[in-house]
Amino acid sequence: MINFKGKTILVTGASAGIGSAVAQLCSDLGAKVCITGRNMDRLIEVSKQLSIESELFQADLTLEKDIDDLVKALPCIDGWVHCAGIIEPFPIKFIQSKHIKSMFTINFDSACLLSSKLMQHKKVNNASSFVFMSSVSASHPYNGGSLYAASKAALESFSRSIALEFSSKGIRSNCISAALVETQMFEKTKNSLSETELLGILSSYPLGIGKPMDVANAAAFLLSSQSSWMTGSVMTLDGGLLLNSKK
Amino acid sequence: MEIDDFIKAIEEEFDNLNPGDVTPNSVFRDMEGWSSMHALIFVALIDSKYDVLLNGDELKSCVTINDLFDITRLKLNGGGAKA
Repeated sequence: MINFKGKTILVTGASAGIGSAVAQLCSDLGAKVCITGRNMDRLIEVSKQLSIESELFQADLTLEKDIDDLVKALPCIDGWVHCAGIIEPFPIKFIQSKHIKSMFTINFDSACLLSSKLMQHKKVNNASSFVFMSSVSASHPYNGGSLYAASKAALESFSRSIALEFSSKGIRSNCISAALVETQMFEKTKNSLSETELLGILSSYPLGIGKPMDVANAAAFLLSSQSSWMTGSVMTLDGGLLLNSKK
Repeated sequence: MEIDDFIKAIEEEFDNLNPGDVTPNSVFRDMEGWSSMHALIFVALIDSKYDVLLNGDELKSCVTINDLFDITRLKLNGGGAKA
């Protein structure tokens, strides 16, 4: 049984979807949860659902100053689940610098900078665990998803480097490579799909698409000592999607 | 911003379209082989040409090329929030 009593877990991108579910589960398992997001009202709503008093930090992780302020304000942590990110599909032919910057600043740069600054300020306890939200698209791309997939592939690579560099402190780093999960992001994506396309996507999941709590359960495992021999790994959660993949 | 230029840009973008194939009343989802990739290309084309980014809800609200043109022009003139 996983028990986070006495542990402090940071959840970035906690105001909705997977991040919100992770915060909820970690709190239910006894952790003091530090939640961050851009919208304080939404963070307050999330915090009302938590079992244990949490700490809320309004931060836009695309801004280095906000990352600095967050790190200074945070207590020492025992775990971190990085859920902040965006999906903005864009065909390769039309990509401009602004699209690359927009995607990588939040999906990749924020993870790098926050990792670095947390360590610089000695805010990470020994034997902590980092969990980064990746995507099956990092190795199984889809039309229009080149930048998103590349940002997640970069994140997976970065996570492996963390695993290596911080191993002497017993700090672990792993990724969750998730396929489609029922979140607000998915609801937005649905608007660009025809009914036939949507049905095609849904039918390609033998176990159906995921729910935020499916991912939260995996994150809790990776945060916990139950996974103490796992580092630098990527855990796939896809409801069986890739079983039929020819890639 | 003129609708003729808007239509010309669309016709030039898709290999299966010839000049004159698209009119303001054309229903873009009725295009041959329409898929979500076409939707992405429309959004990207409008972003590249007019620096206007349509979101999924806005795209969903459009039926004809004229609808797309109108919403793009509205946002270009500050009538909608830039996503």
